[in-house]
Amino acid sequence: MCFTSNFWSLTIDGLNNGFLYALIALGYTLVYGVLQLINFAHSEVFMSGAFGGLFLTQALVGTGNPTGWTAGGYVAVGTLMGAVVGAIVAFLLERVAYRPLRRRHAPRLAFLITAIGASYFLFSLAGHLFGRDAYGVPDLLSHKSLFSIGSRNIQEYDLLVAGSAIAMLFILDRIVAHTRLGQGIRAVAQDAETASLLGVNIDRVISQTFIIGGLLGGAAGFLFGIGSSVGYTMGFVPGLKAFTAAVLGGIGNIRGAVLGGLALGLVENWGVTCVRNSWRDVIAFGILVLVLMFRPTGLLGERLGRSA
Amino acid sequence: MNQTQLLERGRRLLPWVPAGVLLAVMTGPQGRVGQPGYSISQAMHPGHLFDSIAIALVAGVIVQLWGARPAQFRDTVAQVRSETRRIYARREIRLGVYAVLLAFAILLPHMVGAYWQEILVDKIGIFALLAVGLNVVVGFAGLLDLGYIAFYAIGAYVVAYFTGALPVQPPFILNDFYALIFAVAAAMIAGLILGAPTLRLRGDYLAIVTLGFGEIITILAVNLDSVTNGSRGAPGITSFSVHVFGINYDWGLSQVPYYYLLLAFAVIIMVAFAMLENSRVGRAWTAIREDEVAAQACGIPPVKYKLMAFAIGASTSGFAGVLYAAKISFINPSSFTVLFSILVLVLVIFGGMGSLIGPIAGAAAIQWFFAYVQKHDGAPIPGIGVKIPIRPEDIYLYVGALLIVMMIFRPQGIIPSKRRAREIGMAEQGIGGADATGAPIGSPVS
Amino acid sequence: MDTKHVVRAALPIAVGAVLLAGCGGSSSGGGGGGSSSGKTFTIGYQGPLSGGNAALGINMNNGVKLAVQQANDAKTLPYTLKVLSADDQGSADGSPPAAQKEIGDSSVIAVVGPAFSGASDAAGKIYGQANLLMATPSATLPALTDEGFPTFYRAVADDFAQGPPDADYLVKVAGKKKIFLIDDTTDYGKGLASAFKGEVAKAGGSIAGSDSAPQTSTCVPGATGSTSQYPSEASKVKGSGADAVFYAGYYCDFGLLAKAIRNAGYTGQLMSGDGSYDSHYISGAGAKNAEGTLLSCQCSDIASNPKGGDFITAYKSAFGQDPGAYSAEAYDVTNAIIGVLKGLGGSPTRAAVVSAFGSVDYQGLTKEITFGADHNLKVQTAFLYKVVSGKLKYLGDLTSLTK
Repeated sequence: MCFTSNFWSLTIDGLNNGFLYALIALGYTLVYGVLQLINFAHSEVFMSGAFGGLFLTQALVGTGNPTGWTAGGYVAVGTLMGAVVGAIVAFLLERVAYRPLRRRHAPRLAFLITAIGASYFLFSLAGHLFGRDAYGVPDLLSHKSLFSIGSRNIQEYDLLVAGSAIAMLFILDRIVAHTRLGQGIRAVAQDAETASLLGVNIDRVISQTFIIGGLLGGAAGFLFGIGSSVGYTMGFVPGLKAFTAAVLGGIGNIRGAVLGGLALGLVENWGVTCVRNSWRDVIAFGILVLVLMFRPTGLLGERLGRSA
Repeated sequence: MNQTQLLERGRRLLPWVPAGVLLAVMTGPQGRVGQPGYSISQAMHPGHLFDSIAIALVAGVIVQLWGARPAQFRDTVAQVRSETRRIYARREIRLGVYAVLLAFAILLPHMVGAYWQEILVDKIGIFALLAVGLNVVVGFAGLLDLGYIAFYAIGAYVVAYFTGALPVQPPFILNDFYALIFAVAAAMIAGLILGAPTLRLRGDYLAIVTLGFGEIITILAVNLDSVTNGSRGAPGITSFSVHVFGINYDWGLSQVPYYYLLLAFAVIIMVAFAMLENSRVGRAWTAIREDEVAAQACGIPPVKYKLMAFAIGASTSGFAGVLYAAKISFINPSSFTVLFSILVLVLVIFGGMGSLIGPIAGAAAIQWFFAYVQKHDGAPIPGIGVKIPIRPEDIYLYVGALLIVMMIFRPQGIIPSKRRAREIGMAEQGIGGADATGAPIGSPVS
Repeated sequence: MDTKHVVRAALPIAVGAVLLAGCGGSSSGGGGGGSSSGKTFTIGYQGPLSGGNAALGINMNNGVKLAVQQANDAKTLPYTLKVLSADDQGSADGSPPAAQKEIGDSSVIAVVGPAFSGASDAAGKIYGQANLLMATPSATLPALTDEGFPTFYRAVADDFAQGPPDADYLVKVAGKKKIFLIDDTTDYGKGLASAFKGEVAKAGGSIAGSDSAPQTSTCVPGATGSTSQYPSEASKVKGSGADAVFYAGYYCDFGLLAKAIRNAGYTGQLMSGDGSYDSHYISGAGAKNAEGTLLSCQCSDIASNPKGGDFITAYKSAFGQDPGAYSAEAYDVTNAIIGVLKGLGGSPTRAAVVSAFGSVDYQGLTKEITFGADHNLKVQTAFLYKVVSGKLKYLGDLTSLTK
């Protein structure tokens, strides 16, 4: 096999990507669960979160060069800010763009077109406001090796991504399974009309779903930005990949999104050691097309939503 | 009008204030990297902010007045409209209108300069053709295709191949007119191969599969250096030429002859699509759009008809790709990115899904606007002396906003198809669907 | 629609043009006779003025404007010159309309540009047909001069002037024998990578590995690459045991790559070409990660050029900022064209400009502009820079550095 030489290194890279894909994928999956809508603009929620976290950390860091706990604190605050900004954008998106359509029972195509329009509007607005070159994120993490797996040195960034993603996924899983809010989401996903007859406030549940998706996506945006940089078009490819991950795992299925994200991240990174990196997206989309053809319900099947 | 009514009016104007602020932000100066607050703080300049809010409020008042237009006015408009419709329903009048439009289209290139002639061919003509083709997919069959430009690329690369412009040499060099046949066939076959398995899926999955397919085609064009010449692109594609019966004519690079070639093709395609729409196939599409289950129960196989629409759209796209490649005589993968797929979709939606003239009107209006902004960037509008506050790089900002606003206020487009407008209205009342992408969101699945 | 266009297009015959010229107030250059001081001619500029590469395009546009303004102030020519800028967004499909904008204005007698290689390819035939000079200050793709575009002149060294010397410098001077080569899959990146690759073995080095990492959507709207490719790229580089990485691509993605490579703990030499010669590379990668990177460019460093002082002062006073990459190159090309116009009297034609430009010999600020039979510069030079303390430091020209 061509990837045995740096297998562990690529596996860790793949897991990093995979966890971030999973966080974004959850935004798609949750919204799909309650609305049966591919929210194309979710990639822009991710981008907004990255900008939010970036601007806050830039302001906090200023001209200083923080290290240790201070730096760690800034990363945490930045991620939180990313989550909050993501949630705000997702909330506004639902209120301004989707709710008027829902009120009118607009056909499904109208929602998809609105989603595309919102995506273009948001990333162009970011480009207009913040300039069209990528921003470097303040370097807050040390790149020392903490320990190593195989030949790969594990650094703070690897632990940060895995740790925060696992924590968020765990909390989300608990929320959906055990809280009133989670019950609401599941009820609306199952049958919106009956849920509303039974006294579930559908508008509120949908808003909350968008907010949860935005929190996760925005946080992922900032974590993603730390590893690379932040720019107005940064959301496009990760968004597409994350959607692929959601479909791969079974859209509407929360655990499926996580599994799909990790699987996609790993396969992609393993794959490009055998071929050039420029084939990476062909691998991802090839998998998507194959999955849709042979197992349209994804790896774990569609659970939260209906399989209509 | 009493005081409460006035107050109510005023209260309903309030949402237009944030809209004005947003307008101020959108038309503010371009931001700078490293100065995140620059653009916003400049946009909040009192004069600029005041102007923008004032414009938004005026728009708000107009919308209100329109909503509160007197019954008499409403009746008159309805009367005029039905009268026009009655006159227009007469065959000779309709043909007359078409003849006038065609005459206008024939004279148009002689009324404009070289820049606009180029825009007429490259941007309006070719994209009108693309839009007409996508309209079959989106408008007639109600499917969402986001990788539409991939077929355009296939058409362009096939013609590059058969005219010997690619690293791989064809068995025989063909005239563009013959290569056109192969290119259209290739695009159609690609459409069938992609469509056959995916059209069985839920409608919205089709959107994402086609999006992925579009990406794959671009990546293949970039990476298969030995076949496509990679990102370097293929220079030296020959132009259309005729050598029959002693007539030797080469279209070369001149705009006007290409414009007429395009126009001739467009007229043929339009007539064909008009006939198709009124045929058994067209009625099948309508039936599938409106109620897929019922259509199936009546013996219309939905997948077959969806596939047909998809393939017709794909071949039209391939056709446009041939014309583009032959006109520019150079292609490279960056002319086939997903941005163009979305652009064509915007043209169709703006013009009016399902209407024959709509997509052409959409292409003309939007591409004209883009070209105008591009040409007059930073210069005052002649005659008015005001600078357009829109920069060419912000065009997609307005495109996005336009899509959102259109979907909320006029989902049927500027020149709607009567049938589509009715379907959307009915779907909103909960009777049937208006597209083949599944039941309306938030309603029970039938 | 201005009436001038309507009339001209409707009557595309000489009579019409003469009539128009007779009407006065028209800027038509077709009419003959006399060198009245009220006459104007135009030098066009085609390049990106909007979109992702706008900054580079505006640098050049300003260079052209400055040269024209100075010629007008000094009354070098018996007529007034104007500038007509056409925006092609740096892309192939934006190029033909931009070219037609220049061609359609009959007062345009020469064009500086197109700035980018793809745009040059898409406009070469059109300009050729109109017999209008297109002198690019920055399109470096070697194959462009093989296309046989009759009016195309490349007033900049092509990628063979930087790729092979880069390899020589890296292997012989810097002593980095094993090199990992990455291109960004653009025509520019692939061209530079292949020019570089051929020389490595000749210089006594070896290619430890190579890869193609497409431009990412973070850097270029609509691009297909994902930034998540760079950590795995870093793994590949580390696994290959290379002493140095040569990146053939643009600054934004190079910044991401440099960051990922340094974060992964790789300490070898980084090097790239003119596409990455931009201060945004340093801010994107982070000053710490970019430190020590070598960058070559066909663009000379005007600030360290002894002849550049007046130009910098004039540029600053005209545009309120320092000249950027390729400003001085565009200024030089424009001045070369103005020099040609001096010899053509009061009513130059497009054809006369094209035929005279081939034999131009103009000593500019940045280089000597004189062409061989292949429409390339006779003397091709590239320059080397290094990132030192977060700034681009000029090291010298590659020809003498690699001697």
